[in-house]
Amino acid sequence: MSRILIVEDEAHLAQGLRFNLEAEGHSVQTTERGEDALTRLVKNHESFDALVLDVMLPGKDGFTVARELRQAKNFIPLLMLTARGRPEDVLKGFESGADDYLPKPFNLAILIARVESLLRRKDWTRGTGNATERPQQDSDLQDNFRFGDKMVDFRNLQLRAGKEVIQLTVMETDLLRYLIKNAGHPVSRKAILQDVWNLHEETDTRAIDSFIVRLRKYIEPKPSKPRYLLTIRGLGYQFVANPKE
Amino acid sequence: MRITRRTKAMAFFIVLGICLVALAVALNVSWIIFHWRQVVPLVLGIILFGLLITGMVINTIFLVREIRRNEQQDSFLNAITHELKTPIASIRLYLETLTSRPLDEAQRREFYQVMLEDTDRLLGSVEQVLRASQVRQGSGRQNWQEVDFASMVREALELARLRQHLSTEMLRFGTEPANGITVLGNEEELRSAVLNLFDNAIKYSGEKKSIVVDILAPNIDTVSLRVIDRGMGIEAKELKRIFKRFYRAPNSVNGQVKGTGLGLFIVRSIARRHGGDAYAESQGQGMGSTFTMRLPRIYRA
Repeated sequence: MSRILIVEDEAHLAQGLRFNLEAEGHSVQTTERGEDALTRLVKNHESFDALVLDVMLPGKDGFTVARELRQAKNFIPLLMLTARGRPEDVLKGFESGADDYLPKPFNLAILIARVESLLRRKDWTRGTGNATERPQQDSDLQDNFRFGDKMVDFRNLQLRAGKEVIQLTVMETDLLRYLIKNAGHPVSRKAILQDVWNLHEETDTRAIDSFIVRLRKYIEPKPSKPRYLLTIRGLGYQFVANPKE
Repeated sequence: MRITRRTKAMAFFIVLGICLVALAVALNVSWIIFHWRQVVPLVLGIILFGLLITGMVINTIFLVREIRRNEQQDSFLNAITHELKTPIASIRLYLETLTSRPLDEAQRREFYQVMLEDTDRLLGSVEQVLRASQVRQGSGRQNWQEVDFASMVREALELARLRQHLSTEMLRFGTEPANGITVLGNEEELRSAVLNLFDNAIKYSGEKKSIVVDILAPNIDTVSLRVIDRGMGIEAKELKRIFKRFYRAPNSVNGQVKGTGLGLFIVRSIARRHGGDAYAESQGQGMGSTFTMRLPRIYRA
């Protein structure tokens, strides 16, 4: 199940889209205003897997919303939906940061297919999709990753340090992969729950902390003074591959 | 992007116009200096240069106006595209849902209702555009008849309430209108003007809708319909412009309200065709506004 946010001020369209995407098995939320979507995605770090964004909105229009999202380093898969179908409008949509663009009136099956394709892409890039679905070249983290004197073998779920081999669990590996993938950027506990284990916000985010303690035991020379896996206060965690001495 | 390009074009033409006028003035002055003793060339020169300068000024003004109008038509085209395509997109979405998914009876009914509302909206937009071109052409005084103004307004008010799902409090009569006010005209057009006034007040009221409608008969041969809202209000310099075709006040374009820029144009055109007029008053932004449509009344003893 994926979480989708729809920004559409036309009540009928929003309701119809919601009904159909829910029927496809997704969890859907709607809002009428671009500002509201920005607050939820950027300020509150609410986690969604895809965004369906109308262009002609009251207040900030869809182009502006997309641009501000991307400026805030939020790269949520974004399908832009609009009555303007001229080539220059389509180009403007992509320029402002949309991943896909669909003019109104649209065909329902095509809309659903496009949303699914965005969701699939997100699965691929975050590396938690099924191995069979995942294209080989897509994930450079598939095999192993070196940092310091350690090497993570994602395929065999092992952490090697010199001759020592530590066997990791699937969950530990997934978490480590996610942190390494976002190396240099802090990730929130919520995002970890959502992206790594597909859990929703009801879950206690503190559950992650015990995983972090374990990972630190494996990878840190001094677990009490972490250098690779840092706690960012108020935000979450951040992986640093090449810490400064 | 489009707008900045237009603004640049406008700036260019204004600068060009000013430069040409300055050049002509300079030439004119030197002409006067060189020929100030010879009366005939002096007078002739002043007249000819005067003509040239006036021509250039007028030319520049018209050019700028034309560019502006073009811009308004562009935004109108955008708005009307949206107004036409949105209900079609919605109807299509619901039809496809109905054909492709198993639904229970209640849902089915709900979806039919949604589609019906969409067709109403579509029809409304189409009629609005047709009306706007019709009032411009002016079909004369065909089909004019005596119209019971108060009951027509009452019907329109109930229709607007129903269409926009408003409570009695949100749109109401200040004082119950007196009966026996008769206006000579095309009933359909008059109703359209009244509905446009109501729609306008509703649209620009925002969240706190409180619209009061009054029918006033200040003297024996005039009747006025007054619509007072407590909405976003109008700046003083916009009060006249908002009745122009395609014109939309900047705060409504940049901000919250969608529209085509036809509604008030239709209101005023219809009022004028019936020998009346329409105007707006407002204390400024955020202070609400009052729209009045004045019509001649036929009096019967």
